[in-house]
Amino acid sequence: MAATRKRTKRRASRAQNSALKALSLAALALPGLMLNSAWAQEADGIDVQVTHFAEGERDILGVDYNSFADAIDLPQGFEPIEAETLFVRSRFNVGGRFRAFVNYTHDTWSGATAVATAYAAQGANAASAGRHAADGVTITGASPILGISANLIPMQFDRSLSNGYSLLTGAIDNRRTLVMSSASPETREQIDAKLRYAWNEAALDVGGGVSDERDYRSVFGNIGGRFDFNQRLTTLSWGVSYTESETHATLDPDGLPFFDIEHYTPGLGSTAVLPATSGYVESIFGPSDPFNPTSVILHGDRRDWGAQLGLTQVLNKDAVATFDIGYTRSTGYLSNPYKTVLGHTVQFLPGVELGEEILHNGSGGAFLEVRPPERNLVTAHLGLAYYVEPFDAALHIDYSYAHDDWDIDAHTLRAEWAQPLGENWLVTPSVRYYSQSAAGFYTTGIFQTVDENRDIVLAYPQYFSSDTRLSAFGTLSGGLTVSNEIFEGVSVEASFEYFTHRGDLSLGGGGEEDFADYDYWTLGAALKLTPEAIAGRAGHGGHQGHNGHTEHRSHHAGTPAGVMLDHALAEAGDYMVGYTHTRGTQGGDILSGARAIDLSAVRTTGCNGAPCAVTPEQMNMHMHMLHLMYAPTDWLTLAIMPQWMDMGMSMAPNPDFLFTNPEGHAGHSTSHVHETGGIGDTGFYALIKLVDEPRHQVTLALGGTAPTGDVDITLRKTGANPVDDVYMHYGMQTGSGTWDFIPTLSYEGGADTLSWGAQATATIRSGRNDSGYALGDVFQASAWGGYRWSNFLTTSVRGIYTTQGSIEGAFPASAQIDPGTGLPFIQEHIGPFDQSGSYGGQFWDLGLGVNLTIPGGAFAGNTLKFEWVQPLRDDVNAFQLQREGTLFLSWSTSY
Amino acid sequence: MKRSKWAAAAALLGVVTLPGCTTVEPWERGNLAKPHMALDSNPIQTASREHINDSRQAMPSGSSAEGGGCGCN
Repeated sequence: MAATRKRTKRRASRAQNSALKALSLAALALPGLMLNSAWAQEADGIDVQVTHFAEGERDILGVDYNSFADAIDLPQGFEPIEAETLFVRSRFNVGGRFRAFVNYTHDTWSGATAVATAYAAQGANAASAGRHAADGVTITGASPILGISANLIPMQFDRSLSNGYSLLTGAIDNRRTLVMSSASPETREQIDAKLRYAWNEAALDVGGGVSDERDYRSVFGNIGGRFDFNQRLTTLSWGVSYTESETHATLDPDGLPFFDIEHYTPGLGSTAVLPATSGYVESIFGPSDPFNPTSVILHGDRRDWGAQLGLTQVLNKDAVATFDIGYTRSTGYLSNPYKTVLGHTVQFLPGVELGEEILHNGSGGAFLEVRPPERNLVTAHLGLAYYVEPFDAALHIDYSYAHDDWDIDAHTLRAEWAQPLGENWLVTPSVRYYSQSAAGFYTTGIFQTVDENRDIVLAYPQYFSSDTRLSAFGTLSGGLTVSNEIFEGVSVEASFEYFTHRGDLSLGGGGEEDFADYDYWTLGAALKLTPEAIAGRAGHGGHQGHNGHTEHRSHHAGTPAGVMLDHALAEAGDYMVGYTHTRGTQGGDILSGARAIDLSAVRTTGCNGAPCAVTPEQMNMHMHMLHLMYAPTDWLTLAIMPQWMDMGMSMAPNPDFLFTNPEGHAGHSTSHVHETGGIGDTGFYALIKLVDEPRHQVTLALGGTAPTGDVDITLRKTGANPVDDVYMHYGMQTGSGTWDFIPTLSYEGGADTLSWGAQATATIRSGRNDSGYALGDVFQASAWGGYRWSNFLTTSVRGIYTTQGSIEGAFPASAQIDPGTGLPFIQEHIGPFDQSGSYGGQFWDLGLGVNLTIPGGAFAGNTLKFEWVQPLRDDVNAFQLQREGTLFLSWSTSY
Repeated sequence: MKRSKWAAAAALLGVVTLPGCTTVEPWERGNLAKPHMALDSNPIQTASREHINDSRQAMPSGSSAEGGGCGCN
């Protein structure tokens, strides 16, 4: 009896144990209770983040040549650097133990950047204010041209006398300044992906990606993995990567007369030519001048090998730490093609020492910077996450150390406090301190000395850079992120961080002087979606549960990718998230009306009857559009559609064009490219169901776009365009600048495997925008038919007719004085695309579409659509580049 | 010789994983599992921040130097 009781007890305890074990295993399997270390699996989902970066104004010194005053503080006549970045991160199961991670990045940069460091009194930032000084008008800004004197005295300056380049005694002005040049807007795209295979306690990742911009392209691949030990309390991770990058940078044509490219020009007779593997220049000459190149392209290849090893350890129930080390070896051309270093040759006569106030001759040049062709970098990082129970908060502390054989040591300390508030809010303040020492070859200027026979006594150093990113400095920043889970699985987030970069914040002192100091800030907005959580909220498998909606969905599944605002959501409380990517190109012939016209005719009469200085060769437009839709009632759906744009246009010069001031235009005698990008206009719509029957739906969308895009992007200030208020071409602005009313009427129907539809939409502008013009109104009609081949594949055919008016009004003329003529500047460097009449027309297109509905997995029910829209006929106003076609890619999901 | 190398490696592994002996049972991992306790609790923001920082300083913020473009501005 007793034995039985004992056995029962033992059995019960065994059962209890195994129940506990099962429970704990189940707990491990629950996504929310998974051990949340560095490798913890994020739920399938998509995150989108837009970040705006802006530098503050810098203290730039220049010289007023007309009054020969002291070096003066220049008011900002140029725009500080700004960047807009779009990040998209996605992760999803692709079957079995495989998971894919796909990321996309898009940046657009613009503004003025430092190209060198000079003594303020050298006048490298010339103020053109002299002309305005009498009436006290402000200085118009910095010239992008490096002003290098032939008889430069690099050691001492005194602007109190009339000739700053002669030897002076007395007041010495040794202040330095950055030499600024405004850069054209430039865009970059990066796509990278990773495939992961996971075992229970290990994983293997294989990935790669491409980053592409006008002057730089890099391709990379990586392999990595992790092993879990100790009931997943310990994780060991590793990774190796390889990157191959190619620079092909067109040097600033305005700077060419001043740049010293000898280090990159084999056979030029220099003593210090680099091996071609470390970069070389290619000079392109025009037909008329075999001595002065019309463009110089700097080529360079680099390779980066990287390896990382990491250890993550759970310390206790409230703390987890990670430690990782990394090594990166870089070889090849590691310099920045747009940075120069001012060099000075100083002649010493017998009996004279450097630094004495005596007569000696100086001469200078702006050398393209030369960094060593090899860099070995080691990094170590220690991270700690600590749970603060009384506040339900998480404290994160990260410290990183980096050291390289360029003699740079860097320390980064960052702390953030993640504080949940209520059910759905998370507020995260953070502080960060970064400090680095200078690279051994960082310099504000290089010197060589020669004796009375001009023989070199002290040669220029082998490596040199004035890029202040290689100087000693510290950066202190503070930020705040606020996020809110608006529905389960849908979060929105806003973040702000302010940075101050100071030479004297460098750890241990010895930082760069304050000429290199500046502030900058970032503002971010993010949307994060985790479909599984959203589906969990819906509870009944989304639409499947709704009677009759399956039929609706099949109609919409046949709607081509390029058709938008075509249907409202099925029921109150539903919402939809979608994304459309559009890529349009123009190229080939230039049309006049419906006919291709000879290039010579465009060159002679293309600009409002007058000759054009340039003609378009190719134009690309890319657009990213997010669709966020919500149905507050059964008959009404509200939609917000933010957009992200970028445009690029290449142009060919008209060799016969006669400029009024031909000197200033030498730099533009080759093909060149303009790029713009950033946030576009934002759409707001209400979609109303007019007819809602199983086989027929009619939807009216009322709304339009708010002018959140830009209409004031200006051309870069150059020798040919010496002012900063000449606008970029109409078609290259990212917005319309007006509040646009966009009514859309759509009909959709379907039976069995067939679906069909038609849509009429108009875009009506309200008045003129702040830049003085209005884009033409648009009317578009389209009709389509679709055939469903299986439950996941539908194809479509669509016919489209579009008519658009020409632009009304025009950009204002420049209000600034041309420093070359002393008269108001007149922009002559124009093409047909600068004529308001050369926009709009009538267009006929054929669209061919393929639509896929994902049959299974976390993304089941999502639709992916592709449509190629082929132009059939163009009948354009005035002169325009022929359209080559548009590709629409879209993804959407609804709940 | 070979043996002592292995012994050293084993000892190193032991030292490295020693803190792991502090057992945290699965049902005690609730705090660690909270999303804001993840070592990188906001990956897209981390990527965005590192992208900006890497273009303003000489040394990389993360341990990987992949992609990111020229950063020439």
